Amino acid sequence: MPDDEPFDLAGCLDRVRKRDQMAARELVEHLHPLVIRIVRSHLPRRVAEEDLAQDIFLKMFTRLDQYKGEVPFTHWVSRIAVTTCIDQLRAQKRRPELRWADLSETETQVLDSVITNENDVSPDDAVAAKELIHKLLDLLKPEDRLVIQYLDLEQKSIAEISELTGWNPTLVKVRAFRARRKLQRHYHELIERERT
Amino acid sequence: MNPSEKSWARLLAAARRAPPPAADEAAPFGFATRVAALAFSAPASSPSIFGRLALRAAAVAALLALAAVAANYTAIRGAFDDTSPGQATDDPVSEVVDLGS
Repeated sequence: MPDDEPFDLAGCLDRVRKRDQMAARELVEHLHPLVIRIVRSHLPRRVAEEDLAQDIFLKMFTRLDQYKGEVPFTHWVSRIAVTTCIDQLRAQKRRPELRWADLSETETQVLDSVITNENDVSPDDAVAAKELIHKLLDLLKPEDRLVIQYLDLEQKSIAEISELTGWNPTLVKVRAFRARRKLQRHYHELIERERT
Repeated sequence: MNPSEKSWARLLAAARRAPPPAADEAAPFGFATRVAALAFSAPASSPSIFGRLALRAAAVAALLALAAVAANYTAIRGAFDDTSPGQATDDPVSEVVDLGS
């Protein structure tokens, strides 16, 4: 299929419902960037992104008859992706606590830098800062982790998160408030452990 | 904002500057074919054979129960209407109580 032609999603879905395998392939290729972005931002430890993406697509095909067109198809698929990631995160054991010994050398330097210096962390250490935040996010419940990831790291709006997850905006706000409080507590404990 | 919150905000700001983990978002070679084949390898969603047979069996059982009640309606009604006084004396306890009073 040429790239400059707009993708006929409705037509493709009709063909998939008639069990056209070629249409199913086109649909997977069309939706792969959307699904893989969600998978990569919520990927549980020790789970291959391709396996998780495959699970999401298989769920999508299994539930296709349930799609009634009330929300855009991409939103519907992203909700399946988010729910599947949450289920995977739930299946893996949460990290009970984070200690300085669990941090890499660069992460320790980054943490030292944000605690002691008023200056921003150098751009070279951005990846380490992100890794460190992900280690802290591992302490949270999957839903709390997801809301912080979207709101504070990816800076999505409440409305966008609501569309992606299917949670109503009030629920998103409540979850964000609680998740931030928990994360602050874990972060504070980590800093205090270093001081003692 | 306390020092812990300030340092947390700085950490978040730093993490946001990290580049996205991988740029290639296209499906790997053969991925779409494999997923499509797997999706269609399962039969189309329809009630299972066991489910359909169970429903039919339940309907037949309900019909048979109704037919049995209809066929024996007179006998059933007679059993409830039959309140002959002789029945009370079949009960030995009531007989003893009656004798005592």
